Parts: sequence; structure tokens; C-alpha cells
Amino acid sequence: MALVQVEQLTKTFGSTRAVDGISFAIGQGRCAALLGPNGAGKTTTIRMLTGLLTPTSGKIQFQELRPGADIRSVIGYLPQIPSFYGWMSGHEFLTLAGRLHGLRGKAAVKRSDELLERVGIAGAGRRKIAGYSGGMKQRLGLAQALVQRPKLLALDEPVSALDPVGRREVLELLRELKHETTVLFSTHVLHDAEELCDDVLIVRDGKIALQGAIGDIRAQHQKPVLLLQTEADEVSKRWLAEWNLRERPYIVDKESAEDRLRLVVSDIDTARSELLEELSRSQVKVRRLEIGHTSLEDLFMKVVTG
Amino acid sequence: MNTFFVLYRKELLEMLRNYKWIWVPLVFILLGAMQPVTTYFLPQILAGAGNMPEGAVIEIPTPQGSEVLAQTLQQYNTLGVLIITLSFMAVISGERNSGTAAMILVKPVSYTTFVLSKWSAMLSLTAVAFTAGYAVSLYYTNILIGDVGAGGFWKSLLIYMIWLLFVGTLTVTSSALLRSPGGAAFTALGATAVLAIATSLFPKAMAWSPGKLTGLAAQSMQTGLWDEKTWMVVLLSFVIVALMIMISVLALRSKPSLDN
Ligand SMILES: Nc1ncnc2c1ncn2[C@@H]1O[C@H](COP(=O)(O)OP(=O)(O)O)[C@@H](O)[C@H]1O
Ligand SMILES: [Mg+2]
Repeated sequence: MALVQVEQLTKTFGSTRAVDGISFAIGQGRCAALLGPNGAGKTTTIRMLTGLLTPTSGKIQFQELRPGADIRSVIGYLPQIPSFYGWMSGHEFLTLAGRLHGLRGKAAVKRSDELLERVGIAGAGRRKIAGYSGGMKQRLGLAQALVQRPKLLALDEPVSALDPVGRREVLELLRELKHETTVLFSTHVLHDAEELCDDVLIVRDGKIALQGAIGDIRAQHQKPVLLLQTEADEVSKRWLAEWNLRERPYIVDKESAEDRLRLVVSDIDTARSELLEELSRSQVKVRRLEIGHTSLEDLFMKVVTG
Repeated sequence: MNTFFVLYRKELLEMLRNYKWIWVPLVFILLGAMQPVTTYFLPQILAGAGNMPEGAVIEIPTPQGSEVLAQTLQQYNTLGVLIITLSFMAVISGERNSGTAAMILVKPVSYTTFVLSKWSAMLSLTAVAFTAGYAVSLYYTNILIGDVGAGGFWKSLLIYMIWLLFVGTLTVTSSALLRSPGGAAFTALGATAVLAIATSLFPKAMAWSPGKLTGLAAQSMQTGLWDEKTWMVVLLSFVIVALMIMISVLALRSKPSLDN
């Protein structure tokens, strides 16, 4: 069942259509990645979900929301660049967040302790946020988004600004969190989406270019790839140049340099046997011949640049 | 209501951590003490200045206590107002610019509550600072100059408090409308000055203007008067304050963060 249903959501800033009629659903308990290059409209989409931005048009529907209830009470939001009151300690900020969500006195304090522990900054909890590192702020941001045990955790590029170690640690944390609640997170890195998520929404220029479960997308769009590398000697180079001149019906996509060739093909068997035969006939010095599949990365690049 | 108190407490705590609770009252207290003290010592100060011709007799009529307190209010007209605008010029724009407003407003907090918590904190600090300063002024005036009637003191305190409330609210609204704190302070001070000038230039048209509050406060100090005209000015001031709060809420709602 879908937790959130978005229909024809649009946001225009002046003449820019930042988000241009996108529709999607996020299933209960799923982890969905909003994947797209910079400027695709990810932040704008998430901000509309959180109520910070009013959509120009379109609908956002939340299941499980009592009529008249505040949508903000069920969403935990971590902005792309979280800001805090530098004069507060991490613990004080979390307690403030908890109280704003209706936790009273001791309960808010207890929840703050739990969350600091949970995101791994318990040791710094009583220190001023002004002295926190980027990674610590990101963790605190995550903690404040979790304070009311949200139905939807909306994270805007939660790892983009972190160094490799911080990135690894926050990804680990997210991997645990996704078992507890529904997660929507945006990223421009396919790898993060693949690693963490069940579903992916690829956006480009404010539109959804492709969406679905990652496994399904991979299965549907995967095509055989043939990779050839030669020793770059004269004979092989000449052979490759000549080979390139001829049209072949099974080639879907071709990239070649003087010593290498990469083919996406429709019929791998024909391609393979034909190529092997020609290679041995012309005595090409093969260094590497590999048969594989297009990756999601290829698909992603095609979708966002094509 | 609960979220209001949570945010209000946060504002008070913030003003404690950045020492506003110390220096704003301090300025009001210093200004308040200075007026009676300098009035009392003025003859000695002048005599000590030394460049008087030999044998000159300085005759300075000692003012009444109520006059001294009215002069204290005049000090507050300039420096007090300046301190208040400078203290609160970033009260909303600061949170919008830094992004903390967005962090708070994605939680179930109404925009009105957010603005009201800040406005109430502004009012609390202003009221405490001004009351302390004015009370100190009363204390020294009573000791050094002469007894002042309590009735006039309380009435003028109340009327002048409404003036400061007006100026503070103007600052809050400016900071909700403008991105730059300096611009907000300039706007609030400018509007205050224009209002004061217009009120004195067009006494008929501006009979109920909040700009009258300063004059009324000084006057009620000396005469203990609180007539129908005072009521109208006070009433209109409250109406304008309420309108300015509404404008602040609308401004924040339409732009809770810089990238809206
Ligand atoms: N406040 C704004 N005013 C004008 N244009 C904006 C504003 N916010 C975003 N945009 C534009 O909308 C598009 C999408 O932006 P954004 O949602 O931030 O993308 P992403 O988060 O995917 O990088 C961009 O072209 C951006 O320049
Ligand atoms: Mg973004």
C-alpha cells in the first residue's frame, strides 16, 4: 500500500519549471531514492512534501493521516544543508525538536539521549553545536528528523557533503533506519541509491525519466555488452579501424578507441561468434575480451544525459 | 499553546546566552540613572569646568522631579529606541537566512506561534529593561531631586512601554520583510522618525498617532493625566501592532527560507 501518493506535482519559479508534473507513490516501508543530477528538481520536490513550499499545482496525499492532522507531524525532514542554533548543545536541540512534536518534559529529554546514542554522537551531546564537524551535524540532523518516529523520513542528499568515511558511516546508519520506517532520499549518486534502496525515481529537468523497483529496472533494461581490448599494435589498430567501417545489424550502441571497442548488442551469440572468427582470421592480438551486461550506471547516464 | 511556550523559552534562553539580558537592561539603567545624577551635579560640573569669569554666579533653577523623569524618557526616545531596534533587527531574518527557521517550521508549529514567540520575547526584554531603567531613574530622582508622585510615574511608564512595544514590533516586522538586519534597523528607525515628525507637523490629522505616545508619557508624568485622547492613541497603537504582527506572519509564511 502506498504511504504517499503524489500526482502531477508542479512547481514553477518565475519561468523555471523546477518540478514539472511528476507523479509517483512511495510504498509503506519501502526505501525510495530520488535520483537525478543537480538542478533536476529533487530538493524542490522534497520541500513540497514537507510543506515548506506550496506546489504550483498537483496533489500530495498521505495515507494514515487523520483528517485535519498536520502533515508535518508525520514527516521527518533532513534538509540538504541542515542548520542549527550554534549556541545550543546537540541535546538541547533534540529536546527542542521533541517538545515541538509534543513530547513533554522528561520524555523529550529521554528521547534526545536515545537518539544521540543512536546516531553515534552521544559523547558530543552536551557540547555546543557551533563546534560540531560536518559529519556530526549531519548525524544531528538525522536525529532531529527521527525525533517523533516519523512515518516518512525525507532526506535531501544526506551523504553528498560528507567525506568518504562520514559517507560510509551515515549510509550504514540509513541501512538500519530503513527497516524502521519509510524512507525517501535524494541523491545524485546512483551507487548510493543502488546500495540502499528498493525503488528508484530518476528525475531529469523536473520530470520523472524512469521509475520502478531497482531490480525490475535492472532486469528490463539490461543489455549484453561486449568489450574488446587489443595490444595496440599496428596490425590490431588497422584491423579495428577497418572493422569499424562496416555496419552490423546487432549493434545497438558502439564506443571505440584505436585499441578498444565496446559494443552494446541485441544478439550476443551472433556478435560473439562473428567477432571471434574475424579476430582469429586477422591475427589480432587480443588482450581482453569480455562479455557482460550494461549496468544501472549506463542506464542512468543514458537517461539523464540522453 | 504548548509549542508557544517551548519556543518562547528558547528565545529567552538565546537572549541569555548572547547576553542581551545583561546589556540591554544595563543601557536602560545607565540612561535612567544618568538624568537625575547629572541634573543634581550640574552646578558643580559647570563650576569645575573652570573657564567661568571670576565672580560669576551660576543660577540654574533646580527642576522638579517629574521634569527629570520626563527628560529620562527623552533619553529613551533616542538611545533606548536605538538599542531596541539594534537588538531585534535580525530577529526573524536571522533565522530565515541561516536556515534554522526552516528547521523549526517543518515541525508541527504554526507560523503565527513562531512569530508570536519572538515578539513576546522582544516584549519581555524591552519591558524588563525599560521598567528597570525607569525605576532606577525614579529612585535617584527621589533621593537627589525631590519626591515624584507615584500616579504619574505608573501612567507614564505604561504609556511609554506601549511606545517601545510599538517600536519593537516595527523592528520585528521589518526583519520579517527584509533580508538584511541593517536594512530592518534602518527602516524601523526611519519609520519611527518619520512618524514623530509627521505627528508634530500635522497635530490635527495625526491626533491619534502612536507618535503621540512619547509626548503623552512625558505629559502624564508631570500632570498624572490619562484622558480620552490618550485612550484613543493607545487603542490605535494596539491595532497597528496587531496588524504588524499579521504582516510578519504572512511574510514568513510566503518565505520561510531564502530559497523559496
Ligand atoms: N527559489 C528558487 N528560485 C528560482 N529557481 C529555483 C529555486 N529553487 C530551485 N530553482 C531551480 O529549480 C531547479 C531545480 O532545483 P532543485 O530542486 O534545487 O534541484 P536539485 O535539488 O535536484 O539539485 C533548478 O533549475 C533551480 O535553479
Ligand atoms: Mg538539491
